[in-house]
Amino acid sequence: MTEINFINAQNTAIVIFFIGVYGLCARRNIIKAIISLGIMGGGAILFFLSVNRGPDSMPPIFNGDSFVMADPLPQALVITAIVIGVSVTAVALIMFIAMYHKYGTTNWLKAMRHRIEREDE
Amino acid sequence: MILYAFIFIPIITGTLIYLIPWKGIVKVAFGLQMGLMALSIYNFVYIRLNGPIEVVIGNFAKIAGISLRCDTLSATLLMLTAFIFLMCFLFGLMDKFMNNLFVFFFLTLQALTMVIFLSGDLFNIYVVTEVSTIIVAVLIMFKKDSRSLYDGMLYLITNIAAMTFFLLGLGFMYKIFGSLDISIIGAKMFDIENARVLAMPFAFLMTGIGLKCAFLPLFSWLPKAHATPSAPSIVSVILSGLYVKCGIYLFIRVREMFLPALEMDDIFLVIGILTGIIGFILAMSQKDIKMILAYHTISQLGIVLIGITAGGEYAYYGGVLHLFNHAVFKSLLFLSAGIIISKYGTRDITKIRGVFRRMPYVSGMTIAAMLGITGAPLFNGSISKYFIQSGVKGGIIEYAMILINLGTIISFIKFSQMFFGKGLAERIHIDFGKKAAVTTMGLMCLLMGMGGTLVISGIINYRVSIDILEYIKKALVYFVSLGAGYLTYNKYLKKTKFIKEGYELELSINGIAISMMAFFIFIAAAAYVIL
Repeated sequence: MTEINFINAQNTAIVIFFIGVYGLCARRNIIKAIISLGIMGGGAILFFLSVNRGPDSMPPIFNGDSFVMADPLPQALVITAIVIGVSVTAVALIMFIAMYHKYGTTNWLKAMRHRIEREDE
Repeated sequence: MILYAFIFIPIITGTLIYLIPWKGIVKVAFGLQMGLMALSIYNFVYIRLNGPIEVVIGNFAKIAGISLRCDTLSATLLMLTAFIFLMCFLFGLMDKFMNNLFVFFFLTLQALTMVIFLSGDLFNIYVVTEVSTIIVAVLIMFKKDSRSLYDGMLYLITNIAAMTFFLLGLGFMYKIFGSLDISIIGAKMFDIENARVLAMPFAFLMTGIGLKCAFLPLFSWLPKAHATPSAPSIVSVILSGLYVKCGIYLFIRVREMFLPALEMDDIFLVIGILTGIIGFILAMSQKDIKMILAYHTISQLGIVLIGITAGGEYAYYGGVLHLFNHAVFKSLLFLSAGIIISKYGTRDITKIRGVFRRMPYVSGMTIAAMLGITGAPLFNGSISKYFIQSGVKGGIIEYAMILINLGTIISFIKFSQMFFGKGLAERIHIDFGKKAAVTTMGLMCLLMGMGGTLVISGIINYRVSIDILEYIKKALVYFVSLGAGYLTYNKYLKKTKFIKEGYELELSINGIAISMMAFFIFIAAAAYVIL
């Protein structure tokens, strides 16, 4: 069986990350910007999970030493990253709700125009 | 133990203040700030005498645990943090917006800033920066004014995106080094055989940090966040005077960490020069007082970057000193801008006139800060600029420094127009706390200028001396550029459309994301070429 080397967790993580960046670059919807941030965070999390983890390694929850363990530290770190990602998304969405009540739009450009118009008043 | 105190005292007091429904308790926070200031001075003296200290939280092994590390740079920045927050509390002691919720956010931000300066662990820095980003966004939109909502949202999204870049960079670092402790990575950096693997993590980390310190293509969020009209001026002080230094501090640390294997100082030097130039050009065209000051922050950060990356100890310590000097005079400028805005009810510089007659005291202190930022002899800016310039003597960089300084002078000539002219004659009463804060900062500008060499040798144990002749030469250059700036402004620039109508570089979120991507590709490609 030929192994496909380039499709591994790491490269996938980088691709997912840049899909998120593309979303930020190309979409004008505020909600989509928040979703893109989530996708970028997902890519980073997948990258952390794949660090120092071979195809044979087991989850680091047993006491035995006859098998290869995945490195537990990045997995512990990633829990923090996930929690932060959740809270950041929540805060961003709440801010978006407040902003939507003021501007009545989900579009970055329209929101920006509103901001400049209000300034002139 | 003392390092824990810096982190836990503000957070615990902040929480208590939020929970206790008694208005006078805000005064307690002010007392606490005095205590923290004393503690940070004690900590600084201790570290200067006994060398850096390091604690690992929970006594884990350093490779897996979170370490707090304090050397003289961190200790000095802790002092700066305590000082600026003390001044802010003094300034806002009588203000109505200082309610319990605001003080809670403010004290938490102080604790988080201190963790960034203390932490020796990159992942910890990521976590703390993320949390402080949220708090800063909340502080920006504290009054829920329609403009600040957009500014806060933009700040939040761009900075979180930058920190996600940083996080992915950390993933790479962990994969290569098996640890995220700065000192451990720095030690292992010598053993790297194939240095090209460092290009990607370096580019990811630098994109995150670059947005935090507002390097050239990535600065467009900064003026909006730092100068949003409805935010209280002490929020602008903290953001522009102090919080942006976290980015520069991270830059210094990460650069040092990578230095054995990867050196890209030349590229960052060019970025620094361009940042300095574009900062003052945009500052010149602004009409909003706070906007002018915010764009000058970008320009001065460019100067700090030049100092750090120009090479040679003189320039490096000049850059670090400029970090502190900038914190002092920019905070003072924002404080007095806050007073002026609240008394005049407008932020438009063309409509404010006759400030000197109405509040001579505050104006005097503001002029001290302006002399500081433009690098007038005897004031603090001149010393740090002197060191940077003597570090890069004779080259094109020295001329670039003079050019940036000239631009700063022209822009502040425009700024100073508000002192003159006819306004109402009667004096405006300013309460004692505000006066005291402004006076202390103004005196600091002068003292740090008079004793600049002492400050440097006190901070970093490095003896420097000022050549009097050279210094007089620099002073002459200053006066020549002052005259040139005055003439250029009055003869040519005053009537141009650029100055009169104002111009704002408005990048939407898409533009910022694209420039972030471009910066990333540029740094990654440059690192590949160099390695």
